[in-house]
Amino acid sequence: MKRLLPFIIILGVLGVAVGGVLYMTRSNSGGGSSASGGNTSPQAKASPAPTLGPVKAGVPGADPPHTTGVANAPVRIEEFGDFECPPCGAFHPILKKMREEYGDKLFITFREYPLPIHDHAVPAASAAEAAGLQGKFWEMHALIFEHQNEWKLAFDVRPIFEGYAKQIGLDVERFKRDVNSDRVEQRIFLDGKRARAMGVNSTPTVFLNDREIPFTLLPENSLRVLIDNELRAASQK
Amino acid sequence: MVSVENTDFRTSTKWIYVVAALLALVGLTDALYLTVQHLSGRSVPCSVTGGCEEVLTSAYAVVAGIPLAALGAAAYFSAFSLSILAAFGYRSAARLLLPLVATMVLVSVWLFYLQAFVIRAFCQFCLLSAAITIALAIVVFFGWKKGS
Repeated sequence: MKRLLPFIIILGVLGVAVGGVLYMTRSNSGGGSSASGGNTSPQAKASPAPTLGPVKAGVPGADPPHTTGVANAPVRIEEFGDFECPPCGAFHPILKKMREEYGDKLFITFREYPLPIHDHAVPAASAAEAAGLQGKFWEMHALIFEHQNEWKLAFDVRPIFEGYAKQIGLDVERFKRDVNSDRVEQRIFLDGKRARAMGVNSTPTVFLNDREIPFTLLPENSLRVLIDNELRAASQK
Repeated sequence: MVSVENTDFRTSTKWIYVVAALLALVGLTDALYLTVQHLSGRSVPCSVTGGCEEVLTSAYAVVAGIPLAALGAAAYFSAFSLSILAAFGYRSAARLLLPLVATMVLVSVWLFYLQAFVIRAFCQFCLLSAAITIALAIVVFFGWKKGS
């Protein structure tokens, strides 16, 4: 038995390590099972995806929220994002593509959740919110995400965002004042409050009809499957 | 591979390898955490020194398609296994441990250089790993000196 003991210890540690990684990757991705591709049966596809988290109601965020599409659309997507986070930047073109593909069937909301680890996340969120006060949130949102790599390493991002403001035709003087206004700060605070109430602690966290989409299912193809599932479920009601 | 069992292996040397195994276990946990972070890909508010994300999403975080953290975990697991075997008196395991840990130190130095001068961001869990590797090297060297 003593001869076997070191090997038993080694195998035990290996088992715990592999089990731990599997458990962590699952819980990090929202606790769901793996992405359902083309192999699922029609019935399994029709059910509103066991891969999504439970329904979360939370508290209201900034009002009015930044949205696209019609409010009674069958599929509502709510993203809690940070403009400086690389995966949020990568998710931006995916969501844009979904909006083009599904049109009025999608109602998209963006919520500010700037993380403290990013130096420019709050200024970026403030710039987008300030543009929103002049009715151009989505234009600024797109510019900030699309040029993420250009501003994230800058020392001072204010002139860059003011340049974007000019580019999309904002009143730049008003924009400069709004960026530091209580109203903008309040909006970011309220979105953060909603994020915490819904259990968000990383970005991007995306909800589909109030249920969290596991991070691993955010790539284009798996997201499309989830949206199709919701559309199918809505048409059967 | 590791077949030479030596009953004369002194108790104090055995304990040195037990310490090495424990250090390797801490390193393994750290490397596994980094692997999970790398695979999950999300931005998490995880910072003491900042820079976790810059380091984990940098081009240097993947070698031949494998996350560097996973290679680190494999190295720590090997170090753990060899330390346990050495603690049970397998001298050949003790001998294999030395070049393994020396390689780990060299890789850690290289990664520290990358963080300091190339990526210009430090990730605290990567720094912890470097510290564990150096501690492991000291313990293993001590064990080798005592055992030889």
